[in-house]
Amino acid sequence: MGFDRRNFFRTIGVAGVTLAVGKSFGSVTTKDNIVEFQAMLYDSTRCIGCLACERVCAKVHNLPEPPEGLKAGVVRKTTETQRVAINNCNTSKGEVFVRKSCMHCNEPACTAACLTEAMHKTKEGPVIWRESKCMGCRYCMVSCPFDVPKFEFHSANPKIQKCDLCYDRIKEGKIPACAEACPGDALTFGTRRELISEARKRIFENPKDYINQIYGEEVAGGTGLLYLSSAPFSEQGFDPKIQNSSYPALTKGFLYSVPSVDVLLPPLLLGIYAATKNNHSKEEDNE
Amino acid sequence: MFKDNDGNSIMKFLKRELKPKAKLLTPFNLISIPIILLGLGLIVIRFWKGLGAITNLTQEVPWGLWIGFDVVTGVAFAGGAYVVTFMVYILNMKEYRPIVRVTVLNGFLAYAFYTGALLLDLGRPWNVVNPIIGNNFGTSSVLFLVAWHFLLYMLAELIEFSPAIAEWLGAKRATKILSGMTIGAVIFGITLSSLHQSGLGALYLMAKDKIHPLWYSEFIPVLFLVSSVFAGLSMVIFEGSISHKVFYDQMSEKNIKSQDGIIHGLAKICSVAMFAYFFLQFLVFLHDRNWEYLNTPMGYWFLVEMIGFVFTPMLLFFYSYRLNNIFLIRLAAVLTMIGVILNRLNVTVIGFRWDAATHYIPSWMEIVVTLAVIFTEIWIFRWVVRRMPVLRESPVWAKHDHD
Amino acid sequence: MDGFTYNNIFETKGIEYVAIVVFFAILIPFWIVLNRQVKATKQLQKKLGILTAKALRIPQGIFFNKDHTWAHMDKAGLARVGMDDFILHLIGNVTVKRMKKPGDAIQKGDFLAEIEHEGISLKIYSPISGEIIDNNQQLIENPELLNDDPYMKGWMYKIKPSRWIAETSSFYLAEEASNWSAKEIERFKDFLAASVERYTEDPSLLVLQDGGELIDHPLSELPPEVWQDFQHSFLGNKSKYPHFRGLGKQEYGPEYF
Repeated sequence: MGFDRRNFFRTIGVAGVTLAVGKSFGSVTTKDNIVEFQAMLYDSTRCIGCLACERVCAKVHNLPEPPEGLKAGVVRKTTETQRVAINNCNTSKGEVFVRKSCMHCNEPACTAACLTEAMHKTKEGPVIWRESKCMGCRYCMVSCPFDVPKFEFHSANPKIQKCDLCYDRIKEGKIPACAEACPGDALTFGTRRELISEARKRIFENPKDYINQIYGEEVAGGTGLLYLSSAPFSEQGFDPKIQNSSYPALTKGFLYSVPSVDVLLPPLLLGIYAATKNNHSKEEDNE
Repeated sequence: MFKDNDGNSIMKFLKRELKPKAKLLTPFNLISIPIILLGLGLIVIRFWKGLGAITNLTQEVPWGLWIGFDVVTGVAFAGGAYVVTFMVYILNMKEYRPIVRVTVLNGFLAYAFYTGALLLDLGRPWNVVNPIIGNNFGTSSVLFLVAWHFLLYMLAELIEFSPAIAEWLGAKRATKILSGMTIGAVIFGITLSSLHQSGLGALYLMAKDKIHPLWYSEFIPVLFLVSSVFAGLSMVIFEGSISHKVFYDQMSEKNIKSQDGIIHGLAKICSVAMFAYFFLQFLVFLHDRNWEYLNTPMGYWFLVEMIGFVFTPMLLFFYSYRLNNIFLIRLAAVLTMIGVILNRLNVTVIGFRWDAATHYIPSWMEIVVTLAVIFTEIWIFRWVVRRMPVLRESPVWAKHDHD
Repeated sequence: MDGFTYNNIFETKGIEYVAIVVFFAILIPFWIVLNRQVKATKQLQKKLGILTAKALRIPQGIFFNKDHTWAHMDKAGLARVGMDDFILHLIGNVTVKRMKKPGDAIQKGDFLAEIEHEGISLKIYSPISGEIIDNNQQLIENPELLNDDPYMKGWMYKIKPSRWIAETSSFYLAEEASNWSAKEIERFKDFLAASVERYTEDPSLLVLQDGGELIDHPLSELPPEVWQDFQHSFLGNKSKYPHFRGLGKQEYGPEYF
């Protein structure tokens, strides 16, 4: 991995400074008071598969303990009781750990899909689910290209379960529980801008350790959860079909045509009606 | 209050009308009553124990039979209402006037019941008022648009049908006022229909990677809209044939005589619409270079749908129209309906996450609930047709020289 | 769109939907008002005056013949005859062309006088039989006497009647005459509607709404064929059979043959 300057300072920092500072970057608002997206960088080269993130996530969100054991090649998915899942993948570069959770897309399909705005992209970046508005239609599940939202099918008061980047904690100035709990610094929390430049830096400084791609920089139009890895992402369970542009933009053509149709069809129909009405009364007169 | 056609008071009239008008133990009733009751029981369980208790929905296939069949396919079949009202009120094709009321009634009942079925499918139905009252208006959502268009369209259809209700109740002034609103409701209805028929297809636009390429394209909305034309008309032919036999006593002389001519005319429209639709599908096929998928199981299934249940009934409509063979027209209508069901299910359920580890197959309980919804709709239809002037002529005082 | 801040490509959809609802709300009254019947005739009526049964001056004591001529017996036993103002209102100002001379014997239904309006003439036939004692020659030079006062100064002839009682028994008098006059106006409207459709290119000026009123001088705008029909239907023509030309719903009673 290399002992670069950042790591040096972080090691020093850990000793004296709180964990939170070491795991997060910079300020949220730019000088123009525009809120920039917060994001998370997952560096799988630093992940040791301890599943601390899974356990602390379950604890913070009152979910049952996730199943133990991480076997290579066995798929572990997020479920309606588990918001984050670590997988051990057999790749061309050996066993690689990969985190599966909500990608917090810049233009989320689930948010565009939700007709009550229960799925909501916050200004700060995380995509959250708001229980009071949700009617359980599951259209967000249909639309999400990553199949992230999970539904409590066996409950009479079902909720949608997915990672919300611990939005409540962020509002209080803290960082997501998983990032805080990660012992290996695999998870870094900060603004998306800074995380992307940090990721680029890591790739540049350690070209043999990383493949030259930040997964999440472009996929689905850009996501808040960014990945660095030593192995190709298509080997880690990421669907290669997923496009590099925004998913809501796929409905743009249809939704943008609605006003035109709504405005043009009635006068057109009125016109045809008026034109054929004369035939009607003429026929009657000739009877 | 107002009196009915015979001058009785309204309470007496309603009491009389609420009594059953035929034998109770018909074969249809004997089959449908147990299923409806069973369905009601299953619905109770669904609300008590959650959707998973009676459905086979999975995290990867969250929409199953109730959405894919009841809502999406059912609404396609209800498309007869906007096509027929367009023909009769806008294009002034008076020869189709005998079927307007029954088609609008069917359309209204279809939307009402399938919206009801949708309420069953919602996980948190108490929040269904949210997108209506503004908590919040998810205007970026195609589903928001579809939901609102459903509501407004039901209102338009109710207005279109309301003169029949007013005539039944003997409310002369109300009949006149409501009849005056018909053309507005028709224009409103056609506009709304075109947007929500295509909107149902647009719902799946974001699921680009999740639907099999042979059924996914950016043209799904257009394809759904065009197929709703012949789906609706085929349903009109099918349902008209059944009503002709079952409700023969309700039909006016004029309606009986004009039935065959109407079916004949509808066959022509269907064959043209299906011809256009088939070539649209072909164009999309070329545009997306889908030929590489043909030599797969899904590819064969696609060919079955396209050749067997679009191209074949299209030819059959053409042939039976030329020969004026009513039986063959009815056969073509049935084949077309199967084709539409296949198409809608392929997009929404069969082709949706076709590569998932566990395939979704509807549970028997989902099927029973679906049947219960359909049977209840038929019961209401039967109740209305036996009482209101739908298949028979309007009362004399309600006849206008133009309507 | 930069990928670092919040961006919603559907931001304006909400306000757009509201605008569409407003559009529908405005479209309905817009269409309804646009399609209200254009009241061209009413505008003309304001300018030209309205012809109604009430406007026809029906003096009492005068006997009216169904061919729109009148007769009035004075104390000396002499009958004055003339034409009624029904024709004047329908045609406009007329001039008198030919008149019979005093001393001529005349039978009921014989030609009495010819009136003309802008080149088209109509014939007036006598309501009674008798001997012409005097004619109002002044009418030829001063037709305004007829136009302004057809019942008094516009008298045409003084006739000594030979069969007064027999011939006037079928005439209209007083209130009867008013009723008959109103009916004649309705009959004329039907006649006008049928003729207009048959003979003119653009009937919009003369289109009558139900309950609408005639504009003044409606006949003056119409072609000669209509005048001929009018002659036969309203002013009588005993010399040959009237050409009905399928004028529609009028009933021609036995007195017309």
